Amino acid sequence: MNDYLLEAREHLLARARREGLESVGYRVVDSPLGPLWIAVGPKGVLAIHYGATPPSAELARIVRAYGPGVLPDARRADGVARELDQYFAGKRRSFDLPVDLSPLTDFQRRLLGATARVGFGEVTTYGEVAASAGSAKAARAAGQALGSNPIPIVVPCHRVLASDGTLGGYSGGLDAKRRLLAHERGQVPAGGWPSKRAT
Amino acid sequence: MPDPLTFGELLERHEKEIFAYALRLVGDRDDADDVYQETFLAAFRAWPPPRRGQERAWLYRIATNKVIDRARRAKRLVRLKDLRLAAPDRDGVALADLAAAIKVLPAGQRAAFVLRKVEGLAYADVARALDCSEDAARQRVAEATKKVREAMR
Repeated sequence: MNDYLLEAREHLLARARREGLESVGYRVVDSPLGPLWIAVGPKGVLAIHYGATPPSAELARIVRAYGPGVLPDARRADGVARELDQYFAGKRRSFDLPVDLSPLTDFQRRLLGATARVGFGEVTTYGEVAASAGSAKAARAAGQALGSNPIPIVVPCHRVLASDGTLGGYSGGLDAKRRLLAHERGQVPAGGWPSKRAT
Repeated sequence: MPDPLTFGELLERHEKEIFAYALRLVGDRDDADDVYQETFLAAFRAWPPPRRGQERAWLYRIATNKVIDRARRAKRLVRLKDLRLAAPDRDGVALADLAAAIKVLPAGQRAAFVLRKVEGLAYADVARALDCSEDAARQRVAEATKKVREAMR
């Protein structure tokens, strides 16, 4: 994008904010796991999506909660980008960000709340987080609900494994889950993981 | 392409061409910046886009109206001195001559000419952008083309 257009876009966003037309701001950041699409709403981080473009279902979920005023606003997502950078650089073990789980069901909120209490470098199982969320028999439902965790990494569903110790599933792919767990256990290869950057 | 769900999708898909279109019509970067902002703000305020798959023509229509409004307000001819920055060289025609030729066209013909001959829109889309029939769009482009040719002889 040329400088004139960038400048025009900044002017447009400032006016959209002043008029209350922007409800959610988003940006794309590079990470060792490839590009991440981050959205921040009035109550905090709403979404972190693996990839530079979120799927329509994800956008539709945000629009249902906050309307169509979802705009590219790098500044609004600065705090999230900074904490993610620190996490991937090994300088942060937990996130101090407000997260917005309000568009989710009560069960999903309880489950993600229980998942958020699993510390850096620790792991648990779908059954255990289901029990912590007050639904001991809902391990399978827990797996499905965590599979649609809208805020991976910050809500660390990568720390939840199947009861037999295998990886289970992950929205960013099992390779990303494996790499996050290795990162938290200090098992990063010398020189770091090969970079996956936005194309 | 599916309909845009958010302002951001609409903006990212079309902002480059709308900025370029505004620049071709008003010929000045600051004015083009204003037209671009006013176009997208108007689109956000009027959300959702009116008809499925036609948001591009909708944006061109808004932008065209913004340019015409500005020209009327300013009571002056739209300047095209910066056309050289944006317009592709067509058929070996010197851009400065083309700019001068376009400059004397009435606003409706100028917009139709730029949409069709510079932006390359289909006549159906030119018609939607200018909120007129396809026949009227063809007629405006034909008249404009004739005048431009005469001016450049």
